Amino acid sequence: MATERTMTTTWHGTLLEGAGTIHEAPSGAFGPLDVSWPSRAEAPDGRTSPEELIAAAHSACFSMALSAGLARGGTPAERLDTTATVTFVPGEGITKVALAVRGSVPGLDAEAFLAAAEGAKTGCPVSKALAGVPEITLDAALA
Amino acid sequence: MPRIVRGAEVSWEGNVARGTGGITAASSGAFVGLEYTAATRIGVRAGKTSPEELLAAAHGGCFTMSLASELSKAGTPPGRLDVRCVVTMDEVADKGHQIVHSEIEAHGTVPGCDEASFAQAAEAADATCPFSALIRASATVTVSATLS
Repeated sequence: MATERTMTTTWHGTLLEGAGTIHEAPSGAFGPLDVSWPSRAEAPDGRTSPEELIAAAHSACFSMALSAGLARGGTPAERLDTTATVTFVPGEGITKVALAVRGSVPGLDAEAFLAAAEGAKTGCPVSKALAGVPEITLDAALA
Repeated sequence: MPRIVRGAEVSWEGNVARGTGGITAASSGAFVGLEYTAATRIGVRAGKTSPEELLAAAHGGCFTMSLASELSKAGTPPGRLDVRCVVTMDEVADKGHQIVHSEIEAHGTVPGCDEASFAQAAEAADATCPFSALIRASATVTVSATLS
């Protein structure tokens, strides 16, 4: 079954001098969130950006896929801590996503954890959608 | 051009069926500890966000800024843009779950711009928005644009 999620953004003015708002999420989970070009390209100053939202989506999707993979392997995770760091070069595009995960997984050795993390990196839906990013790196270790 | 770096953090506890994660905007602090679960990702949202909702926010936000840029370059900066983005995840035969579609619907109040020029700016925005280019790895992207 297909799952749809919708978000709305309102913008006033030019790119450089204007400002926008990402409306409250229909789920009610977050927002409204202010966005602007200076806070996207320079210091965030408390404002999110498309790159930060991509990092949030990717780290969330990866963690869920890794949790699923570890459970399938018979060693469910107790806890996973994942960071995603997205690099954007204006004029060039999104050039890199760096994933780093630390896991507490009873009964699993480091090598097997790394293999499970590699599987989540290739297989999670957001990874597949971001397959065109030139460099996606993974740093995976047991906590 | 400068490199722009943004990060987010997730903590996940438990197995996929019953576990819960928390999502934090690590660079800006704009959101902290947003809960998500497998059940609310696929089924009823129950107040929880999901990777797809965050992608819809990212793609909509990114496209909107590109459209503001294209309209400004054309000499008709927008008064107001309202952009809706719907991201669809589906199960694809032999490939599992994939982001299959992102639908962008833009409405604008743009002094001095006619429908054809607005549509042209929206096409150019789709071409220059870095996220539009990427998400096409697994998804189709459709863009519609009308003046308010």
